[in-house]
Amino acid sequence: MKRKFGDVVVDTVVPYMVATLYALLILVPIFFVFVSSFKQNAEIFSRPLDFPVKWDLTNYSKLLSPKFKFNFGIAIENSIIITVGAELLTIILAFPAAYAIARVKTRFSPVFETIFGFGFLIPTFTIMLPTFLLMANLGILYSRVSLILFYPAARLPISVMIMASFLRQISSEIENSAILDGANTFQRIIYIFLPLSAPGIVTVIILNFIFIWNEFFLALILLNTQNRTIQIALSTLRSIQKIDYGMMAAGILLSVLPVLVLFVIFQEKIVQGMMAGAIKE
Amino acid sequence: MTPQNQAVLVNNKENNKLNFSRLFIDRRNTLLFLLLVLPAIILYAIFMLYPLVNMFRISLFDWNGILGKKTFIGIANFIDLFSNRSFKIAAMNTLRVVLVALPGVILPAYMFGFFLSLRPRGFRIFRAIFFLPVMISAAAQGMIFLIIYSPGGILNTLLTQIGLDPFTRIWLADPKTALAAVISVDLWADIGLHSVLFFAACSNISFELYEAARIDGANNWDIMWKIALPIIKDYFGISIVLHLLWLLLGSAQNVLLLTKGGPGSYTLTLGYYLYELAFVNNRMGYSQAIGVLIFIIGILCMIVIRKLTRQKSN
Repeated sequence: MKRKFGDVVVDTVVPYMVATLYALLILVPIFFVFVSSFKQNAEIFSRPLDFPVKWDLTNYSKLLSPKFKFNFGIAIENSIIITVGAELLTIILAFPAAYAIARVKTRFSPVFETIFGFGFLIPTFTIMLPTFLLMANLGILYSRVSLILFYPAARLPISVMIMASFLRQISSEIENSAILDGANTFQRIIYIFLPLSAPGIVTVIILNFIFIWNEFFLALILLNTQNRTIQIALSTLRSIQKIDYGMMAAGILLSVLPVLVLFVIFQEKIVQGMMAGAIKE
Repeated sequence: MTPQNQAVLVNNKENNKLNFSRLFIDRRNTLLFLLLVLPAIILYAIFMLYPLVNMFRISLFDWNGILGKKTFIGIANFIDLFSNRSFKIAAMNTLRVVLVALPGVILPAYMFGFFLSLRPRGFRIFRAIFFLPVMISAAAQGMIFLIIYSPGGILNTLLTQIGLDPFTRIWLADPKTALAAVISVDLWADIGLHSVLFFAACSNISFELYEAARIDGANNWDIMWKIALPIIKDYFGISIVLHLLWLLLGSAQNVLLLTKGGPGSYTLTLGYYLYELAFVNNRMGYSQAIGVLIFIIGILCMIVIRKLTRQKSN
């Protein structure tokens, strides 16, 4: 079948052109930040999109130097501690809950599923002040513990939902055969359900990593200067009197690097996981 | 021993033996269920549900500063909001943001997502690039655009180089461009996010439907709006809801990182105003009244949009 010239333009040429334009709009700023992180202010503004004259690591070493007022070394350490702590707590709490909702039949199961489902309607942003006050009352305001407790609470609904959907797919024949072999509930969870739902757990860990590592507002209000995360350290670079753009660019790259690495390895999983979260909403 | 091999050996008669007494199993299951679910529910209730309830409670108090006196004033905060000039400006700016960024993100994202779902050459590369901004944190996005918009920044440099000097300006400090500059950050990042999600949604549609339409002389533009859109209408509604909620709340990050509501109050949005009242001006009760309003507006919009898209797909 012959296609009209007009249709070829509409079907292929225009979409490719627009998509390429948007791709460039994304890539040019990222490229600009990448090359700027090896330059000083003067060179950034005189030759913005050129490769640096010299691949100079001064910006990075300044950021990571313990003498620097906005020490990124400590901030990275804080980010790692908070992320690892919150990730562990989320999985430890979410996996048993997901197992119960997916595999243990009681009349309460739908009720609890609804309670978690309600969590999709609570934006963490609206409850910032009450959360701040709660942390103050608990005596953990300004400490990393506050976020290690808060992030799992915020991520439980989606974590439980994704893991439950994986646990539901496991055939009950496998479970029944284990029961016949005399495996108790605990053994069945550890030896059957945990390994078989590993792909779901990995998806949850990756999505939570992106959320926790990148989170900004609660990290901003719940932590003091010594405990602040890399995101907060990055945003404070703007308060230096004469902004050092090269250093800021280096800070941006340091803060996105771990997530970008995950993205390169797990792109499919991330898209699927986010899609699952969006549909449940 | 693999569980899979064991499963094959199980036969139905043995399965039935497991149903000793329903009552016993029910009670045992209930206990087990609670044991597994309660730790998660408790943490979730303390750090999510309780603050949400507390937001409603605090909004009924006149309370300025953590150590300040708390006076119950009923719905006076809400009544006062409607005569507050800053609140009106913030509401108008938020409306502007929503009117520009909601269609400005969802429509191009749907078109990109549909196009990529046809698996054109290079679609994987486009998809990876479009998803990049999603991986970049709000703080990093803010700083990237701070460098781009800065007085001697790349935007002004490029404009000068192509001979458009008259258009150079201090983008974030100029009342004419400040809000647009903040909205652009959202467009930059979220068209990508939603195109990839639309790509995933459209990828479930069978190509046979498209082929039939092509034989009848339809091009991709017709197919996109008349065939694919009705099929994924439900998901289209979900995207609108998600992005609307994000614009009402989350986008306050961009305001905080780029302009702090300025110049004047040209970029003051409801989300940022809530943050400023609570954490800069210490007006606890008053700020939470805005929180309650945004929460209710969000839920109402969600119900309306979901109703609309669901009815039409029936």
